Amino acid sequence: MVTLEEVRDKSLLQKPSGDATEALERSSSNYHPLHTFTLGRDLQYQQQFADIYFLRLTKIKPAVEKVAEASWEGTVIGGEKAKPVDRVLDVRQGELCWVTGTVYMDMPLKPNILEDVSKDRWISAPTTIDKYYSEDGGDSVMLEDDSGRIRLVGEIFDQYVLVTGCIAAVLGTENSNGEFDVIDVKFADLAPQPERWELSKQKEEDVEMTDTPSPDQGKKIAIVSGLEFSGSDTSYAMELNLLLEFLLGEALDPTTQGELAHISRLIVAGNSTVPSEEVVEKKAMKKYGYDSSSYNALPSQLFDDFLSELLPSMPITLLPGASDPANSSYPQQPIHAAMFPRAKTYTSIPDAAEPGWLDNVTNPWEGEVEGWRFLGTGGQNIDDMAKYVDSDDRLGMMEAMCRWRCSAPTAPDTLWAYPFQDDEPFVMKECPHLYFIGSQPEFGTRVIHGPDGQAVRLISVPSFSKTREIVLVDAETLDVSRVKISV
Amino acid sequence: MDSYQKLLAESVLTEDKVFTYRLLSRTLRVHPNTAKQMLYDFHKTQNDRRPGAVHATYLVHGAKKANVHLNGGDGDVDMAHSSPDNESISEDIPVLTLSLVPEDQLKDTLAQYEEVSSIHVYSVGPNPVKDMALLADVAQEALSLGPAEGPSPGSIVNSGVRRREREGAPRPAPKTAPQPISKAVPQPAAKAAPAGKTAKQEAKPSIFKSTPASSKAKEEPKSTQASKDADTPTSSAAAKKPPASLKRGGSANSGIMQAFSKAASMPKKEKPSAASNPATPSGDDSSMHVMSDDGEDDEDVPQPKARAAGRKTKKQREEELRRMMEEEDEDEDEDEPEKAPSPEEEPMEEAPALEPVTEEPAEVVTASEGGRRRGKRRVMRKKQIMDDQGYLVTIQEQGWESFSEDEAPPATKAKTASSAPAAATAKAAKKGAPKGSQGNIMSFFAKK
Repeated sequence: MVTLEEVRDKSLLQKPSGDATEALERSSSNYHPLHTFTLGRDLQYQQQFADIYFLRLTKIKPAVEKVAEASWEGTVIGGEKAKPVDRVLDVRQGELCWVTGTVYMDMPLKPNILEDVSKDRWISAPTTIDKYYSEDGGDSVMLEDDSGRIRLVGEIFDQYVLVTGCIAAVLGTENSNGEFDVIDVKFADLAPQPERWELSKQKEEDVEMTDTPSPDQGKKIAIVSGLEFSGSDTSYAMELNLLLEFLLGEALDPTTQGELAHISRLIVAGNSTVPSEEVVEKKAMKKYGYDSSSYNALPSQLFDDFLSELLPSMPITLLPGASDPANSSYPQQPIHAAMFPRAKTYTSIPDAAEPGWLDNVTNPWEGEVEGWRFLGTGGQNIDDMAKYVDSDDRLGMMEAMCRWRCSAPTAPDTLWAYPFQDDEPFVMKECPHLYFIGSQPEFGTRVIHGPDGQAVRLISVPSFSKTREIVLVDAETLDVSRVKISV
Repeated sequence: MDSYQKLLAESVLTEDKVFTYRLLSRTLRVHPNTAKQMLYDFHKTQNDRRPGAVHATYLVHGAKKANVHLNGGDGDVDMAHSSPDNESISEDIPVLTLSLVPEDQLKDTLAQYEEVSSIHVYSVGPNPVKDMALLADVAQEALSLGPAEGPSPGSIVNSGVRRREREGAPRPAPKTAPQPISKAVPQPAAKAAPAGKTAKQEAKPSIFKSTPASSKAKEEPKSTQASKDADTPTSSAAAKKPPASLKRGGSANSGIMQAFSKAASMPKKEKPSAASNPATPSGDDSSMHVMSDDGEDDEDVPQPKARAAGRKTKKQREEELRRMMEEEDEDEDEDEPEKAPSPEEEPMEEAPALEPVTEEPAEVVTASEGGRRRGKRRVMRKKQIMDDQGYLVTIQEQGWESFSEDEAPPATKAKTASSAPAAATAKAAKKGAPKGSQGNIMSFFAKK
């Protein structure tokens, strides 16, 4: 409870004092982006998607087997000792064993490429279904590897979130129906976590860095998502303005401005613009080719203005999202700088060694900020995964992804993805310190811990256009705070 | 010290304007914090004199009481499916709330706060603000007063800022006015008005030239001039540029124009930069130049409205006028080359399409009149353009345009650039326009 009288003595509710306020200096940002998800330039789309699954299984299987062996080795159930089995096809009926493979969810509501092909539908439209999950129990879980697949049954699946594409080890026996009766399930769990400042240290060995880890206390990193600059909806224009003034440190009083000066970087996690709704008008005049009048540049212009106002004061990392002008399949490649005629002077030239002041990056994106390993996405991976499960617990799904060591398990099945051949970048080779996902329905955060002392801060960043919230992360402790703007 | 009182009284009480601290800070060039105090002082003195004379909105920042944001954190989500060893509960996270409230609700809002870390007057206006979104327009106006480069006054500075160093890099034009969001949808013409501030200056000379009063009668020459203006600055990237601009400027104004009027703010800043570095070809400029002439074209259409709707202060107008003069100087440079080639071009009037052929490729930069004559070999020219850029043949129009400009200015600039008065420029341009190749093309279309 604050009353008017209490705030009367605030410094700004006085006559102009004439004191010269010295300019605040913003904390520097220590930043090393990784290019894990950058696609090369001469990529082909001719190949099949199967390689992704193969690569993923090959990469994660050893870790899963290690976990499975540690917990199931020597397990005796009903007088029978459990044995490891190499391939799904080698499972013998009645034998207690464990086997590792890729989970495949067979769901009637899930789009199925085979069905499309058999019905001669060659152009697949984005699905409009909210949930693939169906209440009636028509869904079934399979485990497969390169040898074959087996249907999994058992009550244990009520306890776990499972989606197509995650790698799991299952313990149990094959019953007389040819189904695998599962007693227990194990996942790879959190990947090894790099030390803080690992990348900065590596760089230091190469070059003498000028911006070595500084003892700058109280630094913060701002994460915002879903700014959704729109050509038609202006209902939150004022909030966006206040956000800008807040981040610039023009609003509020000198004390608060001093704190705001510690925000060293802004991360924009997707959906910065919304395509304007198509006003479909049949025009009498026939136009050939691309009708440029159907394109409304206003959203990206407004966003450009926003960026170019903010950039002189603060470096920005920009991830694309589902509604941004980037490719739609995962991993989304950076939004082209040409979209930002004003802000683009802050971007780096292509192939530059140094990241740009405005760093337009991929989605998902990985990098080191203030020494911590960040992994972030624009939200599509979680949104797609949420369709597989009954609940809407985004943090739980984020945790599951970390424990599966896969940041986009449902790619390429239901999450469109590039058909990788040689590498599967969605596998988390290293566990991030902070995992954020943009454009979520609401804010949430939690720390999860791994068996080897790993700790991951999960943040689901709400969409600014819906909640008017941004997230501030403390650069030392990774503690999170929120700022809500209400008008 | 009391100048702000006067300014605010004039604007708020007389002109019914709303002033935010940002707008005040940028108008008076004072620190935003001082501006906030000024607004407070103004609000206080005015209301002491006559209660309810001015109405303020406040920006409050602080922690709200816990029960106010019940929905903070998603702690209550049922987690039947989460992994068993880790309950899926979001941590309770402190929320700092930034509220913008009208003064009559200030007390209630403050009551919701546990602690207020910061409060100040955000805006004053003659009436209570009903819809906060209306302040967004004022905020946009404030942005437009911001400095061209670097941080705005009072914002936190960052010494580490890096910019791309690139020749011909487009610098944001000073006084670039981002489009007010609310105006975006309904009226394209009015929308282009505030946005085109800078670009307008480019086209303004043509208005003055063609006369203030009877602009309709001279619509045709104006548009030709404008189209010429549009073409000339694109020197370096001209060869890469799609050919459409001429036709667009001359004949097919309305339809396409409207489409691009939305993009008005983008081109307007490319333009000056292109004009100032005519001789630096840079790799990825082509896309912008495509836009830039579109921007120019826009100006033909919404111009009258743009000027009428201008709600600029005297200061701004003066500033603009001054800039316009500079701009005209530049225009002159651009006009000069028009005149030079024109005598030669005249015989070609019947077939404007062939004209582009007359120019030399980029290699022979120093070529003079003789060089041009040599360039008339059409076939040769076509081939080379295709080799270099892989663009369509029609591009040659542009290639010729800008190239002549590249060539001539060095000679004429020294003489005329700085000294010539505006009127002279206007005359020159007027003379040049009908004779120039642009006029020829217009006539070509007219015949059709």
